[in-house]
Amino acid sequence: MAVGARLLIGLLVDGISSGLILAMLGLGITLVFGLGGVLNLAIGIFSLLGIVLVMEATGLVGNVFVGVLVALVAVGLVSLAVDRSLLSLVYRSEGQERTLIGIFGTLGLAFFLEGALILRYPDVYSIPAEIELLRVAGIVIRGSSLVSIALGLVVFGLLYVFFDRTYMGQATRTVMQDEVGATLCGIDTRQLRTFVFVLSAVVAALAGMLYSFTGEVGVASSFQLTINAVIVSVVGGVTSITGTVVAGLILGIITTYADAFVGAYFAAIALFSVAIVVLLVRPGEIGA
Amino acid sequence: MNWERYKIPVAVIVLALLPVFFFEEGVSYVSRIFTIFLLYATLALALDVAFGQTDQLLLFTGGIAGIGTYTAVEMASVLGVSLWGTILVGGLAAGIVGAVVCWVAARRQLNVIVISILTISLQLAMIQTFNALRDITGGNTGMEVPALTAEAITSTMGWEPLTFLYYLFLLLLTALMVVHHYLTNSKYGLAFDMIRQDEVSAASTGVAVVRYKAFAGFVATFFMGLVGPLYVQIGGYATPGMFQFATIDVLVLIILVVGGMRTIYGPIVGAALIVYVNEALQAAQEFRTMVFGAMLIVLFLYFRNGIVRYARDLAVDRFDLGDRLPG
Repeated sequence: MAVGARLLIGLLVDGISSGLILAMLGLGITLVFGLGGVLNLAIGIFSLLGIVLVMEATGLVGNVFVGVLVALVAVGLVSLAVDRSLLSLVYRSEGQERTLIGIFGTLGLAFFLEGALILRYPDVYSIPAEIELLRVAGIVIRGSSLVSIALGLVVFGLLYVFFDRTYMGQATRTVMQDEVGATLCGIDTRQLRTFVFVLSAVVAALAGMLYSFTGEVGVASSFQLTINAVIVSVVGGVTSITGTVVAGLILGIITTYADAFVGAYFAAIALFSVAIVVLLVRPGEIGA
Repeated sequence: MNWERYKIPVAVIVLALLPVFFFEEGVSYVSRIFTIFLLYATLALALDVAFGQTDQLLLFTGGIAGIGTYTAVEMASVLGVSLWGTILVGGLAAGIVGAVVCWVAARRQLNVIVISILTISLQLAMIQTFNALRDITGGNTGMEVPALTAEAITSTMGWEPLTFLYYLFLLLLTALMVVHHYLTNSKYGLAFDMIRQDEVSAASTGVAVVRYKAFAGFVATFFMGLVGPLYVQIGGYATPGMFQFATIDVLVLIILVVGGMRTIYGPIVGAALIVYVNEALQAAQEFRTMVFGAMLIVLFLYFRNGIVRYARDLAVDRFDLGDRLPG
């Protein structure tokens, strides 16, 4: 096999890994927007919260797995508090006004939490996973990418079971399709929104942890994660779960190749350009 | 007495007198703060033309100011002329970008939320483009910009460079106030009101919705583009980071909302308050982001009509000052 092909395959693995992480983040935006019309611009900060909490908890307990569990529970509790306080106020208004207040409320929350986190965590962090490079048939593959893919697939497997088999999951999809109909069927929309918001924050925290396997992340880059999440969700159609996952994978692969061949700035420009084109050509649900 | 007619002259006179009372020779600290205050007031009033008047939430104020800046500076160095000669070109370039974006958005009938996501994507793409175009912008590390000076004026008036810059900003803000006042009190204002309230019925009564929205976008971004070259004069250099969303757009938006949309005084009052809060927080710099985040939440939840409107409603209720107060 030619060196070029080997490089391309190695990059594809990285791309899929980054695509799954993007899809996890985008899914959080899609679910919360689909259920309640709130574009959660604080999602990136939950990822960073997850990363720093894993490090703190691991430092205390001495075990990464326990640390991850503790961090996920803690992020869940923080997001529950946010849902009960800030989002309850946002949900009091209706329609487009709610979306606008939601955008600025969660943007404010993102700045507030980022400012609070950066006081204690001013550096860049990565979770020390100590995974080595692998060589398969001459192809160099980053072990951390493989671990991210494996864990990402587990998360999406669980989410699939949740949406396909459980009452809560089916109810979520029902509300996304037709809120009035769902309410008439006796589904408690507000309770569901709380559950899905907490779920999206926990998945975002997991995504953040996987992201920090592959490189160092600083609190200041949380807004970048949020923007990427919004772009993935918008490209995927904003209220489509499958669309978001596919969009995440495609954008992850595109940006990984662009990053390797034309540089980081152009990778970012490519990502934004895709979003701009999709917004103009097919604004979808968000434009309704 | 008709306050409407004196609204702008009163504001201009008060702002023009500020340097006389507050600026001290050799203390650039104070004059810098007042200059930044006018910078944000101008940007917020420009955003009002698009967001306040026609509901187009443009979240690329920073990027547009960057386009104005880099166009003007690059043109000046290519043509070998002074920056004075190319400022208008920078403004026009910015205005054309804004007009095209708003025209396309209006043609595609994008609502306020899609426009905000679209323009924030554009903003981020612009910053990355500035970073990538190292030859023009100096990349991450930035570049020095040629100074805007007028020896004849500064030496006659005995002004320091920042005082001169302050009056340049005041000139620009005055021009924008006049344009804003003209637009809102003419057929344009009427059309803007109709578009904001109900686009479909506005179109059905013959209002050229797309044209008016594109025009509002042009005026707003034209002035943002003019602000750019003046903005980089404060420090004498320009980095792409100076035009970032978090540096410019967030503050401009808070200022517009806290001051009050669709008012002339709103952006000035809002900018004064926010710049003051920012200065008061200098001692606790690390809490700045937290405080502004909390402000954004509280403002949008409880205070969406702004201080100027709040004060006016209060005055109207308590003292029945209805027609006598400026807006």
